[in-house]
Amino acid sequence: MDPRNFTYMFYGYAAAFLILVVYVVFLFRRQQKLTNELDRVRRMLEKN
Amino acid sequence: MTPFLRATITIAAKDLRSEFRTKEAFNASLSFSVVILVLFSFAFDPTSEQMQSISGGLLWLVFSFASALSLNRSFARELQNDCLDALVCAPVPVAAIFLGKALANYLLLICVEITALAVFALFYDTHFSQQLGPILLVIALGTWGMTVIGTTFSALTVNLRMREVMLPTLVYPLLVPALMAAMTLTTDLMNGMPLGGDNLLWLRVLTGFDFIYTLLAMVFIDIVVVG
Amino acid sequence: MSETVSEKTRDRIMYVLAMLSAALLTWNLYKIFMILPDEKNQGAIYRIVYMHVPSIFTGFTGFFVALAASALYLITKDLKYDAFAAAVTEVSLAFASIVLATGMIWGRIIWGIWWAWDARLTTMLVCWLIYFGYVMLRRAIDEPTQRARLSAVVSVFGCVDIMIVYKSIEWWRTQHPAPVLSVRDGGGMGPGMESPIYWNWLAFMCLAAILVMVRMRQESISREIDSLRRMAHAY
Repeated sequence: MDPRNFTYMFYGYAAAFLILVVYVVFLFRRQQKLTNELDRVRRMLEKN
Repeated sequence: MTPFLRATITIAAKDLRSEFRTKEAFNASLSFSVVILVLFSFAFDPTSEQMQSISGGLLWLVFSFASALSLNRSFARELQNDCLDALVCAPVPVAAIFLGKALANYLLLICVEITALAVFALFYDTHFSQQLGPILLVIALGTWGMTVIGTTFSALTVNLRMREVMLPTLVYPLLVPALMAAMTLTTDLMNGMPLGGDNLLWLRVLTGFDFIYTLLAMVFIDIVVVG
Repeated sequence: MSETVSEKTRDRIMYVLAMLSAALLTWNLYKIFMILPDEKNQGAIYRIVYMHVPSIFTGFTGFFVALAASALYLITKDLKYDAFAAAVTEVSLAFASIVLATGMIWGRIIWGIWWAWDARLTTMLVCWLIYFGYVMLRRAIDEPTQRARLSAVVSVFGCVDIMIVYKSIEWWRTQHPAPVLSVRDGGGMGPGMESPIYWNWLAFMCLAAILVMVRMRQESISREIDSLRRMAHAY
């Protein structure tokens, strides 16, 4: 049997959770961007 | 003749007539496919045995690239002078406009493909004559699949600012099942295998693809074009 | 959806789902790594199935839910269904990526190659590309109703490919393993080896639900930004 069998099992699990984490980070960053944008537009409206 | 059919034929005749006057799409697709065919001779050894086993794939690559050239502009062409608005306002169903355009594109593509097939046979010493009937059937079915998807998405992306980028990213993945089937079938047929056995499955996939997407396109084209 | 449930209740639902999913995942991972034995032919690597299969279940469930939401949008023209469809598709795309990644790592050991070009793998990759196209299309359109309308149509067109992916292992002789689950007359797994797949599916579904809720809140924020901008222009 391939000696890397056991290591690659962990790579598989790591890859799965990594993709989820990357997606969550992506969501988080977009959330920040949207909140900032919302604040900016609100402030712009208040000034007028 | 039902009014729907008459409208369809009128639209198809209009598109073919305007194409016949300029021969824009035809010339572009044909010269493009000949250029690709020439370039393939550098990518592969055209005289090797291997050539036989990839011939179907090569042929459909040429077809799908060449078809993109004429299909993409199918609806975009109507943007000038607001022709598209006029078409939509005309008292004909949108599905008839779509079907007419698809038919015109189909006839045009078939002409390009037959010419390309002849060039292909000349340059690459392929033997499609022994299975000519089935090969033409596969070309007819595969081209209809490409036409339906291409025309639908030409309508879908007509008003987008990134039209040229969005079209291939949407069209080619959707086309893959049909292209897979057509490529496998054409390769097998060119190697002299008759239709039957494992091939029939691919033929069923191709026919099913055509049927399902034609149906979907006819149902949804109204939503796509008018809203 | 987001409008009918108040912010507080939604937050509470999200916490409950997060806790449920974390507890389920911990228990499942414990069972998978500590209790279940290695598989006879494949050794330890077979455990990837517990990520691979639940992810595809979650992803395909999501794509079908997105199809239903898209159809609902086309019928009702209510943008909340569009927001829901967009959120679900994006989250499902993340799970589809997990399927491809775990499958490739498993294939590297079992087949010796990262990617075997058989019908199952190819159709799945194509499915991923179609829904990637959906996400790209949404970015290319600014006008909300046009975006909703066109992406709903793409969602309907894309769903046909899911059926091909599902059927591909019956239609063609693929390298991809035949279905192992007893529900699809496979039943090739040892006793107790099958249930973690379903429990992981439940955990992933909870996780997907949380992500969808976060994503939908973003949709409503961007809609608010749009309407504020329109107000600013009206001055």
